[in-house]
Parts: sequence; C-alpha cells; structure tokens
Amino acid sequence: MRKRRLIQQVAVAAAVAFATTSCLSAGPTSTGASGGLGAGGTPAGDKEVEILFGFGGDQTRGFQAGFTEFTQRTGIKIKFSEASAFETLIRTRVAGNNLPDIALFPQPGILTDIATSGKLADMSKVVDLEKVKSTLVPGELETGTGADGVVYGIPAAMNVKSLVFYSKKNWEAAGYPIPTTQDELVALTNRIKTEGKTPWCLGIESESATGWPATDWMESFVLLQSGPETYDKWVKHQIPFNDPVVKQAGQAFESLVLAEGNVLGGRAAVASTSFQTAGNSMFDATPGCWMMRQGNFITQQGFFPDAQFKDKDGTIGVFQFPGKSATDQPVLGGGDIAGVFNGADPDTKAVMEFIASPAFDGGTSQGGWLSPHTTFDQAKYPDALTRTISKIGYEATVFRFDGSDQMPGEVGSGTFWRGMTAWIAGSQDLDKTLNDIEASWPKGTG
Amino acid sequence: MEKVLNALLAIIGGVGGALLLFYLLNRFAELLPGRVEERLKPYLYVFPAVGAIGLFLIYPAIQTILFSFANRSSTAFVGFSNYTNLLSSPEFQTTLINTLLWIIVVPAATVVFGLAVAVLADRLSAQSEKLSKTLIFLPMAISGVGAVAIWKFIYVYAPPGQVQIGLQNAIVTAFGADPIAWLQIDTAKLNSFMLMIILIWAQTGFAMVLLSAAVKGVPEDTLEAGRIDGANERQIFFRIIVPQIWGTVITVFITVLIGVMKTFDIVYAATNGNFGTNIIAVDFYNQLFTNGNAGAAAAIVVMLIIAIIPIMIYQVRHFRAEEASR
Repeated sequence: MRKRRLIQQVAVAAAVAFATTSCLSAGPTSTGASGGLGAGGTPAGDKEVEILFGFGGDQTRGFQAGFTEFTQRTGIKIKFSEASAFETLIRTRVAGNNLPDIALFPQPGILTDIATSGKLADMSKVVDLEKVKSTLVPGELETGTGADGVVYGIPAAMNVKSLVFYSKKNWEAAGYPIPTTQDELVALTNRIKTEGKTPWCLGIESESATGWPATDWMESFVLLQSGPETYDKWVKHQIPFNDPVVKQAGQAFESLVLAEGNVLGGRAAVASTSFQTAGNSMFDATPGCWMMRQGNFITQQGFFPDAQFKDKDGTIGVFQFPGKSATDQPVLGGGDIAGVFNGADPDTKAVMEFIASPAFDGGTSQGGWLSPHTTFDQAKYPDALTRTISKIGYEATVFRFDGSDQMPGEVGSGTFWRGMTAWIAGSQDLDKTLNDIEASWPKGTG
Repeated sequence: MEKVLNALLAIIGGVGGALLLFYLLNRFAELLPGRVEERLKPYLYVFPAVGAIGLFLIYPAIQTILFSFANRSSTAFVGFSNYTNLLSSPEFQTTLINTLLWIIVVPAATVVFGLAVAVLADRLSAQSEKLSKTLIFLPMAISGVGAVAIWKFIYVYAPPGQVQIGLQNAIVTAFGADPIAWLQIDTAKLNSFMLMIILIWAQTGFAMVLLSAAVKGVPEDTLEAGRIDGANERQIFFRIIVPQIWGTVITVFITVLIGVMKTFDIVYAATNGNFGTNIIAVDFYNQLFTNGNAGAAAAIVVMLIIAIIPIMIYQVRHFRAEEASR
C-alpha cells in the first residue's frame, strides 16, 4: 500500500514538473528585424517556389495562367497554395515557422505586423526597387512599407474602389449626366430622389465580414474631403480615429446615402443586404436604385446578374466617385501585396522580380484583374469596362490604399466593421461609434 | 490515388505502431520479477493514454491559463488586466448574457422536443415511426455552417422589390408589408433566439434517439399497474415514465449543454456576433484571429473552463450514481 502511494506521488510530481516547464514564449526574434532576407521557405535552388494566397475560383485560374510562360522560360515550378482563410493560415504558419516562399497579402496591415517578427525579406535586397517604383501607381509601394521604413511588400495586383456603377440602358433612358464633382453628385442624387426614385444601392452584409463596404465609403470621404496627408495620419493613428474630419466624412456619407429615401430598403436594412447582389436592382426594367459605389471586383462573375456579366460593355456603366473639384480626383484602392519569406533563394528572387514587373499578367484571362503598373499593356484587358476602370487608377491624381486594411486587426477588421454595422443599422449614433472605435485601438501601436 | 495510399499507410502505421508499443511494454514487464511485474503492468498499460492526455490536454490547458495573465503577444505578464478589461466592457457583458441564455434555452428546449417526439412517435405505426424519426434525426448530420446556410432560406433579407428567397420575408411581403431584416432585431433578443432555433433543430434528433430508447425501456407492467390503479395518460407520463428515464434526461441535457458552451459556427456564420448576438466562442475566435490578442483570448477560454468544470463534476458524479444503481 505504501509503495503504491509512493508511485502516485512520483507520478504527480512528474506531471507538475512537466507542466510547469511551460512558460511564456520568447517573443519576436529581434535578430535581423530589419534588413534581413527572410527566414524560410522551400530549399534554395530547388527550382520550386511556393506562393500562398487568399483568393480562389476564377481568380486563382487567372493567376496560375499568368505563370505558364514564366515556368516554360525559366524551369521554375510554382506551387500554388490557396488558403480560404488566408489571415488565419499565414499567422499559424508564421508562428510555426512553416513559411511559404512568397505570400500575397490582401491586407497590408497583416504584412507589416508579420514584418516585425523579422521573417519577411527586405524588398530592396530582392528586387530593384527604383525600377519597380518607376512604373507603379504612385502610393502603392508606400503601403507595403513597415514602420521602420523598410519596404516589405510590393503590390502584385491593383483594385480600384472609387467607382460608381450604373445601368447604361436605364441611365441613358433617364438622361442623367455623369457627375464630375461632389456637388454634382449631390445634385444628381437629389434630382433622382425628387423624381420619386431611389438614388443609391448599398449592401454591407458579408457574413462574418459584415460592415466592410461601409468602411470604404468612410475612407473615400476622408480622402477626398481632407486630403491624402490627413488620410495617412488617420490610418496610422497619428490623429485619433474620432477626429472631427472623420465625423465630417460620416456625416457626408449619411446625408448622401443613408438619408431617408436615398437608399433602397432604407438605412436599417442595409446591414442585412448582401453586398454581392445589392446592385442587381439597377438593371431591372423599373430600377429599385440607380447607382452603386463599389470596387472593380464586382464586375467578376457571380456579382451582377448573368445577363449583365455576359455583355459588360453594353450594359454596365461606370464613373469615378468624384472628388471636390474636377481636377482633384483622389482614388481609393487596394491590391494584393506580395511579401517574400525566402529572399536568399535565387528562384524566389526570380519569381518576385517577375511578379513586380509590368510584364506580369496575374489574371486578365479571367477578367477583373488589374496590374498596378501604369505601363501594363492595356490591350490585354478583356473588355472596355476594365480598361475604363484601369485608366481611373492609372490617371489618379492621388492614390491611397484601403485604410481599414492597413489598420491593426482589432480596428481594421474588427471594431471598424462592427461599428459601421451598428451605426448604419441605427442601434448607435455616429459619435458613440467613432469613440468606441478610437477606444478599441490597441495601446502601443500606431 | 496517392492520397488514398497515404491514408492507408497512415492507418496501418498508426494501429501497428500502437500494437507494437503495447507489445514491447508487455515484454518489458515480463522481464521483471513476478511481484514487480504484477504491480507495474497496469501502470504500463495506462501510461500511453495518460501520457497522450497530458501532452495534448493538460499541457495546453496550463499554457492557456498562463497566457491569460500575459499580454497580447504572450511575452510579458500583465496580472489580471485581461480579465478586468473583458469583464468591464459592455460588449463582453452582452456576450456573457447571450451565452447564458443559450445555455439555459437550448438544452431545455432540445430535451423537451426530443422527449415529445420520442413519446409521440412511440404511438405511431412502426412504418411512420421509422419515417418520422429518420426525418427528425437528419439535421444531426449537417454541420453548423450548413445548418445556417439552410436557415438563411428562412431568415434572409433582400431589399423591397427584389425576389424574397427568405421564407419569413416572402410571407411578410405577400401580405403587402416591407421585408424585415430579421437577424437585426435584438428587441427581446429575438435574433439570438432565432439563432438558437437552428441549434435546437440540429440537436433534437440526438435527444430523441437516446430518450426514445429510454422510453421503450420502461417496463410495460409498470404502465399497466398505473392504468389499473386509474391513472390518466398525463399522470402515467409524468409520474411513471419520466421518473424512470430521468437519468437519460440528465445525460442528454448535460451533453447538449456542453455542446452549447462550445457552439461557434452557427453564430459566426450567421452574424459574426453583430447586432448583439455575440457568444463566448465567437468572441474568443475574434480575439485570437482578428485581433491577434492571445491574452484576451486565453482569458475567455479560462472563464469557459471555470464555467464548465462544475458541470463536468456533476456529470461524472451522476454517471457514477447511475452505474452504482444498476
């Protein structure tokens, strides 16, 4: 009996000793936090490069097609790793040090966050940054730059978000003009409304990401009302989130779109209207609404009705979401930012150089994809609609990356989305919304 | 083909490896002198399982408790601030209240519906009993996200003038009213209850199967005796059937309750916790993966563990009592 107790005690003691050896992690390895070549990926010189990305379907097919010629020319095989939950996967893989060679980040905030771990390569040691910069849409490269001033990411694709879509047929029948300034846009909105119609389509329901389309509206207004310098400060939290300029943007958004009679279904229903199909009403014989501000991705298959998708140039009209004056036309956009984890590998280097060049075509075969390089051969775009959109991006007087994608996750894909949803649904006012978001900004960052 | 082969190899390797391990441990024990062998053998047999549980359950649990007192990137201790920050935030308080509602409503409703189906189906012909039970059991096989996708056809909203594919809005608009954004209505927690219905719908089949077996196990002569003594149907149900299946009722209740505490997918897929529907598991996920705040996420898990422990203890005691009375 005694012996048994002894064995039990030894077992318990062993368990406790084993358990207490667990303690806190050492934190980010600060070795080479800036200026490194990255910390992993496939073995160097094995002629294989893994690219991790978060899109799927047609976009993946278009992206893969972009490498066919490259692989034939160089013999470098690309391993395409599609992640349906990119953010979760990249964080897990970084934490486990199971790194891809290259990752395409839809949200630069995650890229710069991961860069602080020292595992991402300094791009100036991977590609010729000056050359890349000379053809990029201005403002795109700054997005992939960390707080330490080192460039960690180069855009591989561009999105344009300052776009308003309409139905060509209905628009022409009604005889509406294309507004080129905010004042004209307000006048047009009021004109449509006084004719007894509903000017705006808006839906912000996006399942677990509900609210994001509203953040684009806020960002557009902050950018065009207060200029790019103030916008950058707001995104970097050098001015508080609830600064008066943001409130002013919210009020402009509210009076233009959310006011009674301005949006289909009324403002409370916007939070339950799917962003994917919110605009379908524009194409009805008697349109439920007339205009929708949305990014260029909406022209891909699966958003607008099939009849419109099959005849984009004939049915879908687009104009730039106007700035304050006809000469001041800032563009809000986005893109996939490529970051390199394996800068020491010559194959990875070659692939990254290719992705960062105007020659890279990451998906024109499937439509919807835009190159971030102004010198890209526009004849490759499949239709006139895409060319119109790309031109808006390439000729922007100011181009700024989607702010919520650059903010810390708590805000950019947390409280900003939730706050906008609650505000638009009418369960809290604008002041409380902005104050709550400000209070949620993580301490010690930005 | 390659994948199938890999899977086969993994199965053979895994099962074979386990067999080999026990064989070797056994051989090792046999080498020892008789009395030591007798004494040591049970421990050797228990060791792999206990070791695996220690590695994959106890170690992470202790690590989580430690992390809950540390900062967002788990690099320095911060005392109780994760707990105080959470408990003082109105959003988290709503989350706790919602979770509590889920814990009370869903297991109770599941048991009531499951029991009702079990008792009523018992009175049908064999054919229709089979059919109705199969139908009610079917949702068990559907994942949470799948269930939400199905229930979206009931709740979904489309702007007026568009085709309403949601059943409730189709009915509302048929009467000439404007469609309603159902999942946004948090008056009297209506939206939370509509999400709970999804889980109840999915779990009733499970409760029904267990309770049905228990009901069928009630000896016919006890019912006969009751009838002879002049009991009506209600008295027979509440005073004769229910006391005899009470053990199963408790087991079902607790099993569903533990499932409810971990429920994540339904709320995540339907609202992601917006409109005041957040529950604890969704909050944990968002803290860890959206916010990258390991400290707050760990604190939430620790609170969940603390809440679950008494239930586990009760469950184990109840199970022992059941065993003893057999």
